[in-house]
Amino acid sequence: MGKHEIRMRRQRLTARGTERFRNYDAVLKQHEQEQKMKKIVRVFVFFLLIIVVVILITFAQRWEKRQGDKKLKSEKTEIKS
Amino acid sequence: MTDDQIRKEQEVIERSKKDPKAFGELYELYFDRIFNFLYRQTDDEELAGDLCSQTFINVLNNLKRYEFRGFPFSAWLYKIASNEVNKHYRKNKGKKIFSIEELKVKELVEQANDGWDEEMVSRVISYMNELPTEMVQVLELRFFEDKDFKEIAFILDITESGAKMRTYRALDKLRTQFNIKIKYDG
Repeated sequence: MGKHEIRMRRQRLTARGTERFRNYDAVLKQHEQEQKMKKIVRVFVFFLLIIVVVILITFAQRWEKRQGDKKLKSEKTEIKS
Repeated sequence: MTDDQIRKEQEVIERSKKDPKAFGELYELYFDRIFNFLYRQTDDEELAGDLCSQTFINVLNNLKRYEFRGFPFSAWLYKIASNEVNKHYRKNKGKKIFSIEELKVKELVEQANDGWDEEMVSRVISYMNELPTEMVQVLELRFFEDKDFKEIAFILDITESGAKMRTYRALDKLRTQFNIKIKYDG
């Protein structure tokens, strides 16, 4: 046996048979909800990126300051000696 | 599809990109075909209904990215529907089902000698059960959805020659194994 199963049926579903599944309003509503959710996620990711960038800049500034202080210290000790 | 029909359809699509409500026209036009395509691959009305809704939601979500590339818009719908079915079977790890209308098989197969009987039907079914799933998929699109090879290749993400090869191999087997004529010459 393959990975599928063939079934034979007598007739094709008519338009009347599919009628109860036809609902464009529901599809549209779901689409709008998904788009809204997408927008929210996009805004969230945008702010998250901004926060990450701000944190990185802060760390970089601190590191720069620390390096500057270290340099100053070593220069002072060099002058003393 | 005539050039005029394609042009009109493209106009509706362009309108729908700005206002999704306009897509309702195409939804009404293609709903039955997509539903039947999904029903044929699930044999479950409720499931086909769910997959059909999901297909159209995905279509709307991705409509802005749609560009006309020489295929009818319906080919894009079938491609999304086909992906939805595959996703469903991958997720549920079930056997893929092909529910085929007896009438369509009778249209395809022209008896050479014996009359069409129940035994022949069950033999054809068991033969099709032995075929690789990819082959049955191509046969289904070619004969039950009346798609040309170019469209089939687009829908299933295969080459046109691959689609042709799968079809001809399956038909050759059918001809030799059952000694029947197929009302199809390519």
